[in-house]
Amino acid sequence: MTDPIQHQRRSFVYRKLAAVGATFREMADTAVAASIPGATPALGLADLSPLPRLGYKGPNALSVLGAAGLQIHEENDMALPVPGGGLVARLADSEARLLGDPTGVGDPLAAYGDVAGAGCYAMPRRESHAWFLLVGDSGAECLAKICGVDLRPHRFDEERVAQTSLARINGIIIRGDRGEGLVYHLLADSASAPYLWDCVIDAMAEFEGGPIGIDMIKNAAGA
Amino acid sequence: MRLPSPHGSLIDRKKPITFSFEGRRYTGFAGDTIASALAANDVILLGRSFKYHRPRGVLTMTGDDANTFVEIDGTPNLLADVIPIREGMAVKGQHYSGSLIGDSGRWIERISKFLPVGFYYRSLFRPQGIWPLWEKLVRRMAGLGRVSLDAKHGYFDKQYLFADTVVIGSGAAGLSAALKAADKGEEVILVERQAVLGGSLNHARFDPDGSRGMDLAKSLTAQARAHPNIRVMTDAICTGWFADNYLPIIQGNRMYKLRADEVVVATGALEQPAVFRNNDLPGIMFGSAAQRLVRLYGVQPGTRAVVVTANEDGYGVALDLIDAGVEVAAIVDLNARSGVSEMAKAAAEKGVEIVRGGALHEAISTEGGLPLGAVVIADNAGHGQARRVECDLLCMSVGWAPSSALPAHAGAPVTYDASWHGFTVRETPPGLRVAGAVNGVWDLDAALEDGAGGSDIPATPSPNHHWPIFPHADGKEFVDFDEDLTIDDIRNAVADGFEDIELVKRFSTVGMGPSQGRQTATNAIRLTQEANGGLLADARGSTNRPPAFPETLGALVGRNFHPVRVSAIHHRHLEAGAKMLIAGAWLRPAYYGQADNIKAEVEAVRNNVALMDVSTLGGLEVRGPDAAEFLNRIYTMSYTKQQVGRSRYVLMCNDLGTIVDDGVACRLADDHFYVTATTGNSDGVYREMLFRNVQWRLDVDIGNVTAAYAAVNLAGPKARRVLERLCNDTDLSAEGFPYMGVRTATVAGIPARLLRVGFVGELGWEIHVPASQGEALWDALMEAGAPEGIRPFGVEAQRILRLEKGHIIIGQDSDALTHPHEVDMGWALGKRKAYFNGARGIQIQMKSNMTRRLAGFVLPAQTAALPEESQLVFRDGDIVGRVTSIAHSPALRRPIGMAFVAPDQATPGSRITIKGPGGRMMEAEVVQLPFYDPDNKRQAL
Repeated sequence: MTDPIQHQRRSFVYRKLAAVGATFREMADTAVAASIPGATPALGLADLSPLPRLGYKGPNALSVLGAAGLQIHEENDMALPVPGGGLVARLADSEARLLGDPTGVGDPLAAYGDVAGAGCYAMPRRESHAWFLLVGDSGAECLAKICGVDLRPHRFDEERVAQTSLARINGIIIRGDRGEGLVYHLLADSASAPYLWDCVIDAMAEFEGGPIGIDMIKNAAGA
Repeated sequence: MRLPSPHGSLIDRKKPITFSFEGRRYTGFAGDTIASALAANDVILLGRSFKYHRPRGVLTMTGDDANTFVEIDGTPNLLADVIPIREGMAVKGQHYSGSLIGDSGRWIERISKFLPVGFYYRSLFRPQGIWPLWEKLVRRMAGLGRVSLDAKHGYFDKQYLFADTVVIGSGAAGLSAALKAADKGEEVILVERQAVLGGSLNHARFDPDGSRGMDLAKSLTAQARAHPNIRVMTDAICTGWFADNYLPIIQGNRMYKLRADEVVVATGALEQPAVFRNNDLPGIMFGSAAQRLVRLYGVQPGTRAVVVTANEDGYGVALDLIDAGVEVAAIVDLNARSGVSEMAKAAAEKGVEIVRGGALHEAISTEGGLPLGAVVIADNAGHGQARRVECDLLCMSVGWAPSSALPAHAGAPVTYDASWHGFTVRETPPGLRVAGAVNGVWDLDAALEDGAGGSDIPATPSPNHHWPIFPHADGKEFVDFDEDLTIDDIRNAVADGFEDIELVKRFSTVGMGPSQGRQTATNAIRLTQEANGGLLADARGSTNRPPAFPETLGALVGRNFHPVRVSAIHHRHLEAGAKMLIAGAWLRPAYYGQADNIKAEVEAVRNNVALMDVSTLGGLEVRGPDAAEFLNRIYTMSYTKQQVGRSRYVLMCNDLGTIVDDGVACRLADDHFYVTATTGNSDGVYREMLFRNVQWRLDVDIGNVTAAYAAVNLAGPKARRVLERLCNDTDLSAEGFPYMGVRTATVAGIPARLLRVGFVGELGWEIHVPASQGEALWDALMEAGAPEGIRPFGVEAQRILRLEKGHIIIGQDSDALTHPHEVDMGWALGKRKAYFNGARGIQIQMKSNMTRRLAGFVLPAQTAALPEESQLVFRDGDIVGRVTSIAHSPALRRPIGMAFVAPDQATPGSRITIKGPGGRMMEAEVVQLPFYDPDNKRQAL
């Protein structure tokens, strides 16, 4: 176990997790909330902000990534799994967002960290956006309190991407179920991370929701 | 009086509930509303009317009228006929003086002759000066209910809902529509504003036996609730229709925002009153209200009744009353019918006198002036002998108006149909349809068919009487119960020249009360058209706008979102006692501790070393082969020859040549610039860049990385000493890292971009690092600077420091018309460039003589009260400018500022006159900028 302030790279919401008694685990160059004592909510919100993720944009970004061996969906606003537990979301003809393994174990993005090429520009997505994971069957109903997109599972397919407004800030929602559970990745402005965290926690209260650590994500996947 | 079972389908007699009304305790049952529980206890006086304080009781029993406004546990204006009782509830009437029964405010009715419609437009302000006296009285007497300033806040929130089809209303047509759509596989949401599904099926009498409605309600309701495709929402009110079938639905403390592909409005119809003298007395109610009391709540609404009707419903009402043990003295049928329906036969068989072609003259109260005591009727359309009939209950069933608010919001024309004798909804826009009574379909089987979308719906006779209006020589025939408006009030409004219903409405306030014309519109249009000689056919009512029903402020504002952005270093500021200020969506530290500390923060920067969080400044990556050309076009200066490792000022203008933003552009590589922007406009700059490049199509990528970087400004003569302790992979000397230089380096082990820039005019660096490491950077710098006594400084100190250096703040020292020459920034315009955005606008502006220039000024050191920003600069009595910035300068030990002044006043040595606090004129001296370190030596150390 570790203390976030012993690391230079710190989650944007580590204080909120510390306040509910989270224990943190060291992972590479940072600390991630691993578990929260007594927390077995029906709907869980995990902070994955410290974990690796990448972004590339530019007219040739998708082709450069493809040449590096990454399989990207043919359609915009769709995602595909990255072998090893990650996801690559195609946001536009000229932009992709790569998310690492939400359990923090593997490093599926290792091969794509230094992708280079004309018309392909790296974006500091680990810094620009917070990354939260909403896990539980009431996820769509909870998100309906902060987002006007119909995210119900029968209307929002798995691996679909919505670039939309979340509690009045720009956000990206990716459905990425694990095992049998309904899972939504939430990406939004890192400077608004504490605000968005509070909004989601407030929205999930009626669904017996609360914060969880990444250990519960592993458990949900049967890993 | 309470009736035995089976009357009272909604109440649970096993659960008695005690509550109080006007301080007295009463008992009802679970399922009772306040009005039904009080009626069961023979309490029929619920409130007083707005203008004349007339006694009022139950009228609709649906919450569609304002007669039953009460205050509950301190919350005013709640509808007693729909709110369920709960244990210990304390209910009070409203709008009375003294007591509800005694009400000393009733005196005002005696002077009603002096209060004709619109009287306040002609009086209350003459003679001159009298209004303050009237105002005190009007404020005391006007308004409905009292707001408690001690009311506790509730938790209100919102949620989006989605459906293929939403059905508003769950009567016969609504249930039929919902089941049909659900059977087709659609996702259906069924919205019902009452507590139970079924609408009029629950209380109306559709057949002489009286059971068909209830049986159908039971069956259809069970099917709807069991259907997997139907979500049922009861106690849920749809308050409006907005574009693309966007519907707000309020249920409890939540507002649902529902968007549906198809909307079926099956909201039924609103019973309409007969207009006759004293038609507002407690004891006079709609027939459907009496039926609700009997069937739903098991309450006998009176002991001896007269029913006035123009349709079959009235006969059904009479039969229900008889079943409830009420003596029905007479049925006054306004129509002189030749045929006799099954319902009429059944009523006649019960021995009820039926007065065909009858009329109403007036209602008479009992002694004491409160509830109904008798009515005066006549036959032969009122021309027959008038006679008095003793009764304590009069039920009106003379017509209906479609509950057409929602289709009206959607733009459907709602006009008077002369053959129907009432309003009808004409065509509806695509995606919305009306069904059932709201669509003028009056037969039960036809309504079921209409709800299911059938196309061959047989026409049914209109339930409406063409003219249920009976003027009386002594007046008090109320057209609008909310506003106490009578027949003469409408006629007089038209006589005053307000001929159109929209003008009659605004002048008289008819339909503008809490009921919003639900019981008013039909008779109001009839009287208006009669008075102005217009046709009733195709006459339109006044425009119907959302909300269709009252909405609490909590429902509207509840759980709104107010985004807040904070830097990664935010908590360190709080821990240091910062007073935060709001800058757009950001929170920034204004100063630390007390406001008195601002001076010490300024001095720390000038004489020592200090640290400021500047993370909120915009950050943009401009990359690509055309990056320099792009900056050349979007900003005023030249960038193609800017060296790698150097930064340069950027000034952005719009097409008019007005300054809109500034910052610095740092060249990190030939094809890579890192550009800063102001906190308040970084998103605007980003949008502008994207917009322009859509046109220019340069080979450049623009990325907004504002939140990705945390940044600090380490400033002061000892800044280098501190930084050298943490950064040993870069030459920080004046020669190795000159002013306006840029380096990538490592600070405290954190990868950083170092910018040697100087907004505050001292030796200093902006250090930009990945946001997640911003707090660690701050901690490291504070620790490294501890031997020097480093301290944080905030926005207020920075504002003084930059002012001493004569640096403008865009949007404070400039406005929406300021071009660069007005603020002495001609030096920032690339003279040799072929183009930059705004160049042409500046050229055009400069063809005219300048009318103002920004100048620095000083005031005497002993000036006590400083002028404030935006206070005016005068010359010879004319306004020539205004103060834009002002502060007491610690460095100069006197007040300094900047102001727009006349161009010839901008010469150093000129004197300007400022109108300061309290209107005091003060003289200031214009000086050369900057005020401090004019040779800029300190920032180049």
